[in-house]
Amino acid sequence: MSDEATGQKNGIPSKKVLGLFALALINVAAVLSIRNFPSMAVYGWSCIGWYIIGAVIFLIPISLAGAELATGWPEGGGIYAWVKQAFGEKGGFTALFCEWSNNLVWFPTVLSFIASTLAFALTPALATSSLYMFSVMMIAFWGTTAIAYFGEELSTKFGNIGVILGSIIPSVLIILLGVWWIGSGAALVLPPFSPGAMVPTINVTTLPFFATIVLLFAGMEMAGFHALETKNPQKDFPKAMALSAIIIVVCTVLATLAIAFVIPADQLSLASGVMQAIQYFFTAAGMPWLVAPMAVLITLGGVASLAAWLIGPAKGLGIVAEGGNMPPIFDRTNKYGAPVAVLLIQAIIGSIISLLYIFLPSVNQAYWILSAMTVELLCIVYVLVFASVIKLRYSQPDTPRPFKIPGGMAGVWLVGGLGACGTTFAFIVGLMPPSYFSTSGLTYISALLFGTFVLAVPPLVFLKFKNPGWLKPAGAQR
Amino acid sequence: MGTDNHIIGERGGPVSINSRLELGLSIFLIILFLIPIGVVILVAEESPFHQVSGEPVNEAAQATGIRVASVKDSTWNLPGAMGGKTYVLTDNAGEVVAVSTQSFDSAESRDAAIRMYNSYPVGRGHPVGSLMVVGQHVIYATPAQSNIMRRLAPELKKKVLP
Repeated sequence: MSDEATGQKNGIPSKKVLGLFALALINVAAVLSIRNFPSMAVYGWSCIGWYIIGAVIFLIPISLAGAELATGWPEGGGIYAWVKQAFGEKGGFTALFCEWSNNLVWFPTVLSFIASTLAFALTPALATSSLYMFSVMMIAFWGTTAIAYFGEELSTKFGNIGVILGSIIPSVLIILLGVWWIGSGAALVLPPFSPGAMVPTINVTTLPFFATIVLLFAGMEMAGFHALETKNPQKDFPKAMALSAIIIVVCTVLATLAIAFVIPADQLSLASGVMQAIQYFFTAAGMPWLVAPMAVLITLGGVASLAAWLIGPAKGLGIVAEGGNMPPIFDRTNKYGAPVAVLLIQAIIGSIISLLYIFLPSVNQAYWILSAMTVELLCIVYVLVFASVIKLRYSQPDTPRPFKIPGGMAGVWLVGGLGACGTTFAFIVGLMPPSYFSTSGLTYISALLFGTFVLAVPPLVFLKFKNPGWLKPAGAQR
Repeated sequence: MGTDNHIIGERGGPVSINSRLELGLSIFLIILFLIPIGVVILVAEESPFHQVSGEPVNEAAQATGIRVASVKDSTWNLPGAMGGKTYVLTDNAGEVVAVSTQSFDSAESRDAAIRMYNSYPVGRGHPVGSLMVVGQHVIYATPAQSNIMRRLAPELKKKVLP
């Protein structure tokens, strides 16, 4: 079989297994999160306004930019390939590495979510046991890594089933219950709708939340990492972007409103999690027996989300290593085409960070700063992606793009500019410490920038030491 | 470059690692991730579990001249939650902040609540609001940035350490 037919590149066998629906579900798995619903439902009708802001500033721009870049450069590595075309090896590698390292710091939070949600289905008090939490987190993390080991076909099937069962079905159930609640004539806790109620309050105190909203839909680029395994990337990517955006927006907005209709805001604002909201919701609807099954499904959705973020950037890093930009130890693949070395290193680092996350007591401030680092790293990624879509229109105007952002150069500047400005703004606001922080603002900002720099700079170190011996010979397998 | 090392590949064949430099870079990568985390842990202040008497938020509000517009009892649906208060605070500038407190029966249950809060970021950003820890109390404030919390924080911090 030819390389083109198999998606083979530098020895990595890549079966073309992904169609339109599978591609769309990769993005849905990465972005759609039931975790967001109760947090956003607190804002009542104005959650619609916040979602519109997130969609206009980020979701629509990243979907359009991703579609143009993925169809113009349908190569392995996703954002790495796109940014590399615009800003060279350093830019591409840095963008990808920021996405990968941001993941490693983020993993413990999603793993903790998975473990505490599963505890709700078993015995909620289990969530107070560090041993239980760490055990479940490691089972989920290494289990997902093991699935990734068996290549694209298995991990895609797992991800698709996981996102349908764990994200889409629970969202639809919540929406249907909301509809039933309204139809039954039960009292709504929200005041009557008015267009003005949708407008969010934007001032100095809500600026950090505004920045958070910008990254609400982060992950829409995830399908791009799977270009080599896509049957017809130039045709399917734009449709997959559109389909996934529609699924995400419909599920997110309607399910959030359904929760806001039923649960009083003061019950949602008690730092409670999604399962507490779900319990209130289903008990109010007379179906408390659905709480435990929902916990299991939402746990599965969490694992599907973990899988999407765990596999995509790791595949990208494997591609970078194959290009001779990292020591050969990083470009080892197995017979399924999975980047085993990257997956293993990722699992080791993620496990160490998770260990600290669980067993270091009483370091609430540390959690906040770590999550701030993930925001900063992700902002760097998206600024580079948006800048790339603009630059490539100038530097490579003749490269065929089966999908082009409409509106000519003005359209590209509008889309890329909105996205770049939004993520730059999120980066700057992300440097603001919460009001209660005891460390001085300067110490906080210095620590945050230092951490972000350290996690973003390894590509420059690797490129500094790069030598021809790192390049994998065509057809070779390490 | 140093001499080549060999490790056994997954199919049993020899796999070349070009040099010690490569291995060093790999270890460097793993250690690198621990540096920022170490810095963060050094910068962040610990909040040890200990019994704090009274109502810290109410007392801090009184000490700083912030008005308590309303207060009601609340118990979070979390393991180990012992109950607390939900305050609506206002200042002369008209700023309004909702602050909810909850005391926990053990360090484990309190830290589980902190972990849960931190595992609920919106999208890939921060969680909504902010969380402060004072002894057995977890104090949740929305919005995260406010002059009221900025004024309350020094008073609350006096009780962070036993």
